[in-house]
Amino acid sequence: MRVFAAACAILVWAIRTGAVSAQDTHVLVIAGLGGDAEHRERFLEWGGTFVDAVTGKLGVGSDYITYLGERPEADPRIDGRSTRENVEKAFAEIASKAGGEDEVFVLLIGHGSYAAGESRFNLPGPDPSAEDFALMLDQLSDRRVSFANATSASGGFVPVLSRPGRAIVTATKTGMERNEPVFAGYFVEAYAGDGADFDKNGRVSLSEAFDYARIEVAREYEDDGLLLTEHALLDDNGDGEGSEELEGGLDGALSASLYLGPSPTAMDALSTDDPVLRALYEEKAALEQRIEELRAVRDQMERERYETALEDLLVQLALTNRQIQAQRGGSR
Amino acid sequence: MRRRITLVAVVALATPGLAARAEGQTLEEALGWLRSGAYDSAIAALRDLASPGEEASPRIGAETRRTAYVSYLKVLAEVGRHGDALLAGERAPQALALDLANSIGEVLYHTGRIDEARAHFDRSWEGRAPDRHTARLNRAILEWTYGDREKALSEFDSFIDLYSRAPTLSSKELTAVGTAVRYLGSGDSRLYRDALRAYDEAIAADPRNLEPRILVGEMFLEKYNGTDAAQAFQDVLSVNPRHPRALLGMARAKQFNGSLGFTDQVDEALDQNPNLVIARVFKAWLNLEAEDHDKARSEIEAALRVNPASLKALSALAASRYLRGDRDGYETVRNRVRELSPAYGEIYNDIAELSVKSRMYREAAELAREAIALDPQSWRGFGILGMNQLRLGQMAEGRANLETAFEGDPYSVWSFNTLALLDSFENYTVFGDDPRFRFVLHNREADVLRPYIEQIASEAYEALVERYGGYTPPLPIRIEVFPSHADFSVRTIGLAGIGALGVSFGPVVAMDSPSAKGPGEFNWASVLWHEMAHVFHLGLSEHRVPRWFSEGLAVHEQRRARPGWGHQPSPGFLRRFHQGLLLSVSQLNEGFVRPAYPQQVVDSYLMASLVFDYIETRWGFEPILQMLHGYRGGETTRALVERLLGLRMENLDRDFDDYFRSRFERALNAVEAPRARAGIGMQPPSTEDLIRLAGENPRHFVSRLSAGVALFREGRLDEAEEHLRAAERLFPEYGGNDSPHWYLAQIHTERGETEPAAEALARLTSLNESHYQAFYQYAELLGELGDIDGSAQALDAAVLIYPYEIELHARLARAHAGRGDTSGAVREMRAIVALEPSDRAGALYGLARAYLADGRRSEARSAVLRALEIAPNYEEALEFLIELRASGRP
Repeated sequence: MRVFAAACAILVWAIRTGAVSAQDTHVLVIAGLGGDAEHRERFLEWGGTFVDAVTGKLGVGSDYITYLGERPEADPRIDGRSTRENVEKAFAEIASKAGGEDEVFVLLIGHGSYAAGESRFNLPGPDPSAEDFALMLDQLSDRRVSFANATSASGGFVPVLSRPGRAIVTATKTGMERNEPVFAGYFVEAYAGDGADFDKNGRVSLSEAFDYARIEVAREYEDDGLLLTEHALLDDNGDGEGSEELEGGLDGALSASLYLGPSPTAMDALSTDDPVLRALYEEKAALEQRIEELRAVRDQMERERYETALEDLLVQLALTNRQIQAQRGGSR
Repeated sequence: MRRRITLVAVVALATPGLAARAEGQTLEEALGWLRSGAYDSAIAALRDLASPGEEASPRIGAETRRTAYVSYLKVLAEVGRHGDALLAGERAPQALALDLANSIGEVLYHTGRIDEARAHFDRSWEGRAPDRHTARLNRAILEWTYGDREKALSEFDSFIDLYSRAPTLSSKELTAVGTAVRYLGSGDSRLYRDALRAYDEAIAADPRNLEPRILVGEMFLEKYNGTDAAQAFQDVLSVNPRHPRALLGMARAKQFNGSLGFTDQVDEALDQNPNLVIARVFKAWLNLEAEDHDKARSEIEAALRVNPASLKALSALAASRYLRGDRDGYETVRNRVRELSPAYGEIYNDIAELSVKSRMYREAAELAREAIALDPQSWRGFGILGMNQLRLGQMAEGRANLETAFEGDPYSVWSFNTLALLDSFENYTVFGDDPRFRFVLHNREADVLRPYIEQIASEAYEALVERYGGYTPPLPIRIEVFPSHADFSVRTIGLAGIGALGVSFGPVVAMDSPSAKGPGEFNWASVLWHEMAHVFHLGLSEHRVPRWFSEGLAVHEQRRARPGWGHQPSPGFLRRFHQGLLLSVSQLNEGFVRPAYPQQVVDSYLMASLVFDYIETRWGFEPILQMLHGYRGGETTRALVERLLGLRMENLDRDFDDYFRSRFERALNAVEAPRARAGIGMQPPSTEDLIRLAGENPRHFVSRLSAGVALFREGRLDEAEEHLRAAERLFPEYGGNDSPHWYLAQIHTERGETEPAAEALARLTSLNESHYQAFYQYAELLGELGDIDGSAQALDAAVLIYPYEIELHARLARAHAGRGDTSGAVREMRAIVALEPSDRAGALYGLARAYLADGRRSEARSAVLRALEIAPNYEEALEFLIELRASGRP
């Protein structure tokens, strides 16, 4: 519920300050070298599916998306070839155009490698290392960044890219996990499909996408009777050490608040001029905060008392939601 | 290497008496023949060297003659000619009496003349004979075995002084040191390493001395190391391929390692030395394990004729009597052993281990207790006691005794493995809501498995109580389910590598969890039913039912429980019938306890189950039930068949054979080898080859099936169907994964012919208990046909194969809800939650709705609150909570 707390805190803060968000998310998708027809096809499919989801159901404007791929001629959605030069150019463009409150989301799809202590991402031409990406990311200053490297041997990116305000996801735990991972497919599916919205708030956070992909990867290996050879990591507390599981761990707070695209409810709350509706949103945020506080002391309470208290708060929340719906309908 | 040794042996055998008499005949050559196993040559040569004629006498020195005489006795003893050895000893010149005392003592010892042997060993030691240290060791061993163990230990202890003080020791003396230290190891297991070191030094001192190598092998066997034991015996056999003790040792190592062919090797040992008592006893134990007491008795008698004081042979005799329920006879033998050796606890351990093979775990534990009472350092006894207490469900006591065993004998891999497994039990949960059972399930899968396993166990129990005349076994029955096959194996035999999927110890059942294997590898519910049947068989017969009977009857019960459960016939099975490999009823036990070919155990399960199909069809179930009672009373199968079926065993064999031929008449004709195979060589046949072969052998099942499958794979569905239909007609009972039913179902599915596809799968699923895909597809087709109940039943059957797929439970939940089975829907929704889907909130909400539909409002409330804890803004769940509250607090 640490995840949920972060989301609540942001909403409460936004409502109390009365700030109207001008925040945008800039998305960079880079599909690397396929190596053979089968992989080219697969990376193209993942990249295309992700871009469609981002521009479609997630509501990110197409101006905010850059998609680089091995063969731009194979897909009209691709903006340019995924060479190192173009990757650097894309980062520079985002840095120049992004506002101070904007967020950046980077997804690497393809093959990775690890040799002589260096992790690299395989592109047509020279392969950039984790250190090269660190330099590119540094151009983004303090903007909140989600960086997902879904390639093999990607674990080495975590210690190099980690810093406060950044969430780093890798498909593998170390550079030594070199088998081709299946993580990327499930990570894309988390955003493109309907299964990863675990808290049912209508959006998929980075932590939800990570958890969804992690669970599905484990299930695929289990079903195939194979030993799990990829262990995805997420680091978002800047300590340079990723976590495999977020529940009860050190990482996950930041990534729980990192979404692709705006929240319809939050946007409604922030943009409304209706004082009744505004008060209801505040009440809802406060209830959510109380639920979170109650959950934090669950283990110290007698079960029936806890459930009764939780139920009371949830019913109040449900009724507030109903009122919001009614008021929104009435104000239209 | 083998070729060279063979050549030496042939040359030696070709020149026996001549060689000994030839000019230049040397002692070294004779000893070479002895070492290489050219026993006839060695005997002739050594005899001549030891007792030369008058004219040859001056040419042979005293030392040569002494060595020749000692070696002559040794070779005679090695091939079991004890009488000749003793006679030679008697006729030896007085001057050699001291030199020969130890050798004669050894022969006397091995023929049970204990007091005379003791006197000879004493004479050798006291007279300071050259081999006096060996004599002293022999005396100590004799004392340990038949006399005062404290005194023996003191004697053994003196060998450490010998080793420490003597400037140099011969290979034989170092061997004696090794053996003495090995005996001392019974009180301090660290000394086994010192024994091994002494043996190694003995080998280094004289690489031609085979004795320490054999002792190394025997010690490795004693310490459960079959691999190194086999290597040690192989080292001996590479020098002397006929060495009786090495052949026997290799046989024991092979048996320990689970290799085939060990019985032949025992026979080879007995060919070389028909009076090798330990080989006779080994054979006797094998026969006892095979529950063939007559053959065992014959071996034991042969052993006792050689050595009437052999404690091992007497133990085997006692075991035979014990297992046959002849308590008076058993006590007579046991008392004889007590007279001979008051501290000999191994008799109890030996019988205990045999009792385990006969599934008499309670008796095994009791016997082990007696062994411990006689010898508080009987680590083997503690191990047997602990293992069997665990089999009886006495977990704390079993663990404590195993810990004692392991402390005393840290080499015991059984104790080590089992204790490690017991440590892992902290990851298991014990459920005992139903007083009839204790389910022990791994935490990881307990929530998923529990409802299904509880249901199957309960159903099986109730069905079996009714069928077995109201008999109720001792309760509760402990059912342990292991997600790791290796852990199940350790639980069963203390070692990894068991082939079975489940085992019943009577009050305890252990089995593989479905997660121990992949989907479709086995039907866990069917296995549980089988083991539950054993619980009843063992209880009713007080564990005296023979293996074939219990296994066959358990498979028979599986078949009665669900269509398709239990072993089913295959073309290979029927071909082996043609080849005469399948055993008759009277021989079936052999197929379980001493399989002669790799598939024989599996074949015997099926064959034995068919025997019960036959008996129940002809005589009904009552005689079967009475037979179980009869076994409890100590009756034999032969006697029971005569009394309860009114047939001589031979006639049952004959009648069952007729039944088998008649039951599978069509299929038997269809599995014989194809008459024509023209055009098909070593290369995999092409589809056209297979079509031609099928055309030439239209009544041959495999030919028609192979052609059909090949055509199906090429998408030639109409042609494939023709062959597959023919195959189906030829062997309709075949339900293997590649059966015609499966391919016909696929053909119909591809054509969109739902009804015939479902019919084909109905046939297949009634013959195959573990075809997950078939059950799943069958459910889908029935759903399409509007048979909601049938579809749900097929999905239910799929859960009994592999319950870990969320989609399967989701379908079942919908199916149960659709047909008004609200508790079934709850069960499936609970399984989904237990499988930890990524959408936990959604799963909990679904469970809450299912609970409410089932009238369980309180659980519904808890489930929806858990969902909303994860997702407080989960709109549908919030609305559900309001509805729930509005309709009154639970």
